[in-house]
Amino acid sequence: MIYSLDQITKSYPTRHGPVSSLNGLTFDVRPGERVALIGPSGAGKTTLFRLLNATLRPTSGALRFDGQDVGAMAGRELRAMRRRIGTIYQQHHLVPSLTALENALCGRLGYWSLLETIRNAVRRDQRETERAMAALEAVGLADKHQARADQLSGGQQQRLAVARVLMQDPGVILADEPFASLDPALTGAIASLLTGLASGGQRTLVVTLHDVELALRYFPRIVALRDGRVVFDQAPAEVSRGALDALYAGNSEPEEALGDKGEAKHESYRERSCAR
Amino acid sequence: MIRAKQSMNPTVNEAARVSDWREWRPSLNPLLRRIAAVFGLSAVLVLCWRAAEIRPSALFEASAAASVLHFLRSLFPPDLSPDFLRVVGAAIGRTLAMAIAGTTLSIVIGLPLGALATATLYRRGVLMAGERKGAGLLLLAGLSRAARALLGFLRAVPDLMWGLLFVVAVGLGSLAGALALAVSYCGVLGRVYADVFEDVDPRPLEALHATGATRAQVFLQAIWPQAAPGVVAYTLYSFECCVRAASVLGFIGAGGIGYEINLSMRLFEYGQVFTLIIAFVVLVAATDALSRSLRRRLRANAPLGSPAHLPLILGRGLRERLISTGWLTKGRIAVVAIAAVAVSFYASGFAGGALTDPELPRRVTRFIGAMFPPESDPSFLRSLVVPLFQTVGISVMGTLVGIGVGSVLSLPATSTLVFAEADAAGRRSLPSRLWRWAVYTAARLMLNALRSIPELIWVLVCILAVGLGPFAGTVAIGLHTGGVLGKLYAETLEEVPTQPVEALRASGASLFQILLWGMWPQARPMLASYTVLRWETNLRVSTILGLVGGGGLGQAIYNNVQLGFYPRVATLIAIVYLLVIATDWIGDRLRRRPAVA
Repeated sequence: MIYSLDQITKSYPTRHGPVSSLNGLTFDVRPGERVALIGPSGAGKTTLFRLLNATLRPTSGALRFDGQDVGAMAGRELRAMRRRIGTIYQQHHLVPSLTALENALCGRLGYWSLLETIRNAVRRDQRETERAMAALEAVGLADKHQARADQLSGGQQQRLAVARVLMQDPGVILADEPFASLDPALTGAIASLLTGLASGGQRTLVVTLHDVELALRYFPRIVALRDGRVVFDQAPAEVSRGALDALYAGNSEPEEALGDKGEAKHESYRERSCAR
Repeated sequence: MIRAKQSMNPTVNEAARVSDWREWRPSLNPLLRRIAAVFGLSAVLVLCWRAAEIRPSALFEASAAASVLHFLRSLFPPDLSPDFLRVVGAAIGRTLAMAIAGTTLSIVIGLPLGALATATLYRRGVLMAGERKGAGLLLLAGLSRAARALLGFLRAVPDLMWGLLFVVAVGLGSLAGALALAVSYCGVLGRVYADVFEDVDPRPLEALHATGATRAQVFLQAIWPQAAPGVVAYTLYSFECCVRAASVLGFIGAGGIGYEINLSMRLFEYGQVFTLIIAFVVLVAATDALSRSLRRRLRANAPLGSPAHLPLILGRGLRERLISTGWLTKGRIAVVAIAAVAVSFYASGFAGGALTDPELPRRVTRFIGAMFPPESDPSFLRSLVVPLFQTVGISVMGTLVGIGVGSVLSLPATSTLVFAEADAAGRRSLPSRLWRWAVYTAARLMLNALRSIPELIWVLVCILAVGLGPFAGTVAIGLHTGGVLGKLYAETLEEVPTQPVEALRASGASLFQILLWGMWPQARPMLASYTVLRWETNLRVSTILGLVGGGGLGQAIYNNVQLGFYPRVATLIAIVYLLVIATDWIGDRLRRRPAVA
């Protein structure tokens, strides 16, 4: 098991008492699996992500990564584990004032010692730069390597975030809505890039998606969350229309999803108008 | 597939190239440029190093350590005898009165001058658009420009220099101090008022103008309501500055707490010095707290991005919170304020004594008359070359020392670096947490101590260690600046957007790597801008350090005032004015550089 979650809960303290985001989540992920997490907004997907990449600690329950208890780790050990997990954030989380190339290089930080970090600050390592250029090439951003991250369009930023994870070369890739700001053509390209990375059975891929059709098309395992619990955990063929309707029923999700899609459409419009 | 798509759209690349500012710079071999820049910079640094008479060895001499240690030891115990506490109380009262009277006068003078200097009212913009260019309008435009220049002049000459002049003109005492503050801060306030008036939304102005409103009506109905929050916020902030300045003005005979510190220092009564410094720090902290709560109660939050917003950033903690006003209504605040102002004017000697002296106007006019024509004797001018270079050298090297001290202290004072969030992954043992808390607190305390003690007091301490001269001034400016910049650096690093930082942390980056790759690139423009601003301030300070033996032009100014060579004083004021203008210009250029901003 690459991940094993046992009765994970997570609650945040607020002025009106603790608010729970995850309520006893239990599931496993095997190495090389491709998992899509779906569910209405507020189901706890983002919190789950931050637990999975070990930047957040569960309130209770055991989270094991590759057999090790994440809660017990600290310092160097924790960083070494984080290096093995690459995260693609929904808002990309790029460093706005660095160039695309530098942002891609950020993915290598976990590999560099203190000395190498200082050396790279003075004079950038040739091999690492070439590697970063190759990663940018793979996502089609090679000609943008000198552009600052905040000058890139949403879709380009999304691809840059993918390039950063390529640089990190992790065993597990977590991606939060990786297609939210891509037009259909790019969605296909990035989806096959990500699934291609995971296809050799070497890498595990965990993705959240609001677009159920995409989830069903590209991912052999669908885990549905609602109110911080697993509602179903099935192969796409087994997922019934009724189960999906129940999953999203009575939630503000339709609006939310519309909003997301509206944004995505706007973005793809921008991408296309650029292309002309 | 993606690549094919990219290469098919040349327009994207074209657009990027056009927006790239580098393309439009005069093409000079970049290597040559870099070499020239490095050479120029090192030449300036060497010159400044020499001018400021930097002697690092002096810091490590046994005698320096011994005298500083002796000084620190004799600070204890602070003198808390009832007699002396009464002296301290009176000094605080006098300083506060000076500050209040000075601020009030500076508002009274600064507001009309600021309105006159406002370009939208008299020179350009929507109100001028359709006007016929008559003689009256030209005259008004000329007056407006003159007002702006006058404000710039009043602001550029340091407050201590005004104090020195007023001490000669009206005699020793709080009156000279209050007048110096009034003149100096009316320059500061007038300029800011004009900027705030110019920054208001012009559409209402246009609308009112179109209905046939007069200029005064436009000002009262359209400009003032928009500008009022900014005006109030900046005025309160300038009051905080006035309290600090009033304390320091005592050093040159304006009475109050600075006078007492100077006196006790010269009498080697270090226990008294310690008490006075504590009193000073408490006074400044109390003023800051009062001003902050007033700003909050009056909801005087300047619009974001206006120049008046800057003090709000500096005076952090002022969150846009709407607090119920409670028993402290605007009316009651007004009553208290009026009473305080009246008492302050009385206590500063405006009511009787010097000011009602029939001799006074004649003395002042004779004093001003004696300054003209300014001295232009070549040998005198030549004698100013070395102090001039010293002044610049002190400001540059002092700022560099401050950058060093500030950077070192700011890292342990950055809460986001020292503490992780409570629920972040990674366990922290209790000793580790305690240790971190101790380091953080120590760094913050150190920064506060460095920052709250003014440069002039630091000069007196540094003179004990390294002797009279520009080096003492450099170290003094360095210590104070280190405190100011360290706090600003820490707060800037803390306020960097956290999302990229989180992404780096999630990819396994270490703290140092997060700082270097995540926080520094985001904070750099802000850090550079704060540093350049501070250098501009330091240049003003370094022109007056000589008053207490810190080198630079101040010594010459002090001597010539004491000896009554007023034409020379006029020349010196002109030089300081030009120097400050030049510095502000260079600072402006530095801050606007694309590489910085």
